[in-house]
Amino acid sequence: MNIGQQENRQGRLIKKIFDRFTDEAAQEVNLLKSRPDFRPELEYFVDLLAAGRDPATIANRTGRKVVALMCLQAPLELFHVYGLQPFKIFGGTMVAQRLSAPQLPAIMCPMLRSALGELHLDLAGRNGEKFLAWVAPTTCDWVVKIKDMMEVCGVKEDPPFHRLELPHLKDRDESQERWLEEIYLLKTFLSELTGIKKIKRQDLANSMRLYQKTWHVFSRLIDLKRQGFAPLVWFMVITNSFFFDDVEKWSAAVEKALPLFTERPKNGPNVFLAGSPIFFPNLKMLHLLEEAGLNVVMDDLCSSERIFPGAVFCDDLSEHGLLKALAQRYHQGCLCPTFSDNDRRINNIIAPAHKDLYQGVVFHVLKGCHPFDLESLTLESRLKDLGFKFIKLETDYTSEDSQTLLTRLEAYRSSLVN
Amino acid sequence: MGYKIGLDLGSTAIKMVLVKNNEITWSRKVPTAPGQEALAMELVKGAVSECGLTEADIDQITATGYGKKLMTAAGLTVDEISANAHGLHLLSEGRCRTIINIGGQDLKVININENGRIADFKMNDKCAAGTGRFFEQVARILDTPLETFGELSLKADEPLELNSTCVVFAESEIVSLLAKGVPKERIIKGLHHSVARRITHLLGTRYASKEGDIYLDGGPSQNKGLLEALEDELLMEVKVLPNPQFTVAFGATLSVN
Repeated sequence: MNIGQQENRQGRLIKKIFDRFTDEAAQEVNLLKSRPDFRPELEYFVDLLAAGRDPATIANRTGRKVVALMCLQAPLELFHVYGLQPFKIFGGTMVAQRLSAPQLPAIMCPMLRSALGELHLDLAGRNGEKFLAWVAPTTCDWVVKIKDMMEVCGVKEDPPFHRLELPHLKDRDESQERWLEEIYLLKTFLSELTGIKKIKRQDLANSMRLYQKTWHVFSRLIDLKRQGFAPLVWFMVITNSFFFDDVEKWSAAVEKALPLFTERPKNGPNVFLAGSPIFFPNLKMLHLLEEAGLNVVMDDLCSSERIFPGAVFCDDLSEHGLLKALAQRYHQGCLCPTFSDNDRRINNIIAPAHKDLYQGVVFHVLKGCHPFDLESLTLESRLKDLGFKFIKLETDYTSEDSQTLLTRLEAYRSSLVN
Repeated sequence: MGYKIGLDLGSTAIKMVLVKNNEITWSRKVPTAPGQEALAMELVKGAVSECGLTEADIDQITATGYGKKLMTAAGLTVDEISANAHGLHLLSEGRCRTIINIGGQDLKVININENGRIADFKMNDKCAAGTGRFFEQVARILDTPLETFGELSLKADEPLELNSTCVVFAESEIVSLLAKGVPKERIIKGLHHSVARRITHLLGTRYASKEGDIYLDGGPSQNKGLLEALEDELLMEVKVLPNPQFTVAFGATLSVN
């Protein structure tokens, strides 16, 4: 086969996958919009997700150039002050994996495999707009190697690629100093990328205030979930769409949606959902949790409650003080399992159980997502020693295991209510 | 009046029990095939007819198993893990604390408390290794009826060390062993130990019952060779009730209580 034929074949494959990709998303959108608790105020979030995640769409919507972000440790406020739209790369489609899977290890995080496939679709593209740059905090092994995998998968995008070296020990002074250096390097990178030589201290403070305000609205939504009023499906549709629009518009839409959540689900018991991220349109696990009658009132998924790490407050309003506050919040405040000294994360899950805020933990592991898989062993042991219930469910993006997952969830529910 | 029906619509067989006063009065199974509800209703009609009952005598139909939601005639549905726990608790007269259930396409390990409620459980992931489907496949490869596996296994002195319980890879391994002239008995014994080790790993230390008994149920539990291998690997006695395929269907009828 000559190069021309290969390119032709790849082009046809991408077109075919793109059509199926659209179908997969449309099916989930139809499912969401046909739910009895769907309301017009939620349409904004569903439509954001349905419209796709290619940089051109996001750039047109936000009026900002888009920087792809591989993990959540890079301060969003910093992107904002440089007039950029950070966009966390998640992959949620099963079918997109077909474009990347042949080049990748058989057992690999399906979320990133899907994301790599979706990048092909973006590039095959629609308006030809590319991410202005890539920023990758070195978290899990898959993210550390993402640039190599992009090349292996033939994602021929060559924008500036900036790595943030993430210290995996959070509580050491040296680590925090090291991370602050990385934040300064990110600032330099963004400065060179945009040509903005100097940012005003006041602009950075304003940007931080904007995210504080957003956090305030978001925390009210979290409270509604804690009380059982905001169903997880809608909570996650809202959080999944966080990076798809300007943060102020998103925040305003959340505020508008808050009054919708007034009805507590009839079923229970209450559970904590921990583990690997869940992203649109692969909301399989959320639908199964509902079907099994489990009410998720808390979670620690980075595509959900941890989508951004909370408000950053600061007494020292010098530029250094602001950057230091951002560095601390995004490093020490981060509850990603990739850190080595991570008791805070485990305690964050266990502590609410002592207050009867939930009756059990459902731990979701995407096959190949090693940090969560490994961490589940510690968590299971700690929870069971304390007499709390725990179930781990390993899955991927296929639907063939839905029945067996449902069986487990139903039995788990029985064990919680008895 | 006073009869209850429990239907367990599994991946390889549909099992039905007719129960009165917590006693099984009639039981039967048929292989799973397309049209599960019709097959199950045939069983119901058979029970009613053979026992000289009318439909009015049936107070409740409860369905469990993977096909439970296909049973529109069922007044109640219950998950098979809870049904298994209820059933074995009553049939073992409260002595059971751990259940090892081998189904058509899954392995389950269930810890139950003194009231017959689920304390904890584990299941195999998306892999049919060591399940009923695995045994069926091996029987085909060995061209040997599955019902004779137990007897053949007990005839072998030493089990052969087998590497795979994967349905796909076991085939090439077994074919290779047969080509080398290894007797079927040793291969079968090796398979039983291989599956028993898999179950032991699933069971883990946390599941090993410190008090109460361990019971094996599901279709393959009638295989005495597997039972022997399991006891050997676990270093514990493993009990099997009469008619172990009907425990889940029986438990389903109790779950409503």
